[in-house]
Amino acid sequence: MLEKLLGGGKLEKKAITKIQEYLKTLCAATECLKETLLQESFEKTYCIENLEREADSLKREIIGIIYEGAFLPYIRPNLCNFIEIIEKAFDHMKVCAFEYRYILNSDLYGLTYKNIEEECLRIAHINVEMCQILIKSFKALWTKDNIREKNLAIRILEKKVDEIKLELTEKIRNCNLCKITNYWEGKIMSDFVDSLVSVSDVIEDASDYLYLLDLSLR
Amino acid sequence: MGKVAKDIMNKKLETISADATVYDAIERLIDKRIRSLLVLPKNHDDSYGVVTVRNIIFKVLAKNLDPHKIKIGDIASKPVLCVPQDTPLEKILEIMHSHNIARIFITDENKKIIGVASFFDVLHNVLIEQAKK
Repeated sequence: MLEKLLGGGKLEKKAITKIQEYLKTLCAATECLKETLLQESFEKTYCIENLEREADSLKREIIGIIYEGAFLPYIRPNLCNFIEIIEKAFDHMKVCAFEYRYILNSDLYGLTYKNIEEECLRIAHINVEMCQILIKSFKALWTKDNIREKNLAIRILEKKVDEIKLELTEKIRNCNLCKITNYWEGKIMSDFVDSLVSVSDVIEDASDYLYLLDLSLR
Repeated sequence: MGKVAKDIMNKKLETISADATVYDAIERLIDKRIRSLLVLPKNHDDSYGVVTVRNIIFKVLAKNLDPHKIKIGDIASKPVLCVPQDTPLEKILEIMHSHNIARIFITDENKKIIGVASFFDVLHNVLIEQAKK
């Protein structure tokens, strides 16, 4: 499979190295988000935007290399799709960081956010774990390692995020002391939670995509 | 360092009163999609118990008893097995194996139950750790 995927050329190796770099940037962004929430730091939220910009430039490079002629033609759109799926995770994290800045600077930071802080931190931590496994999963694609078990682990973690999301939603709905007084505060909280929990969905989609790619290359 | 109880436990503890009926428990188990409920002590001298799907099936339904009439306190397993939150995963598995139980409750430094670890939690953790290698 390795030969089929790589074609043994320099361009292919270059593309794979860049894709790994891209995934590491994603991992760094999830870690940055986790640290931001842990330290409750306004300044730290900007690291996600910086990493997103880095990832965007890497994405252009990767797609460029692929269309210069790396990989067999039928694999090219699949790899580009994979990169585009991952890009959505960056978008969600960017929204999450953006809304978090508003939370930190508003009354929402008090009882409303504190009420769900523990769940948010758990989700941020799981996002990091999922990313680490996704990197291994991508490596497994071309080292003929077991991609199926990585995919299963990612699915398990995504289910955990789904469960936490339910707990979190219930907590917000049933919190009598939480004060969401207007439409915009509600939208900030809703967008923050939605974007935080959507990262795992995207990573799961990317993992599924890799698994299908692996099957198609057999 | 290996994982400990608090790393794998599920903090979502669903409780039920010992005076509730088995049917109440069935409804809760189905609604919440869980397999066990922590039975609250009746008073200070009483201890926590656990009621599982297994208890309900073998102690009530298989005997053709009416779940509306049987109290949870009559079928709950007591006392529950608890371990401190820093117990290593290997020790948890050893206890589960030696006592033939599918879940173990986790306590904090004040001996308060704060979570539960089931076979599924252990299985999930093993699979995730393997995938990280």
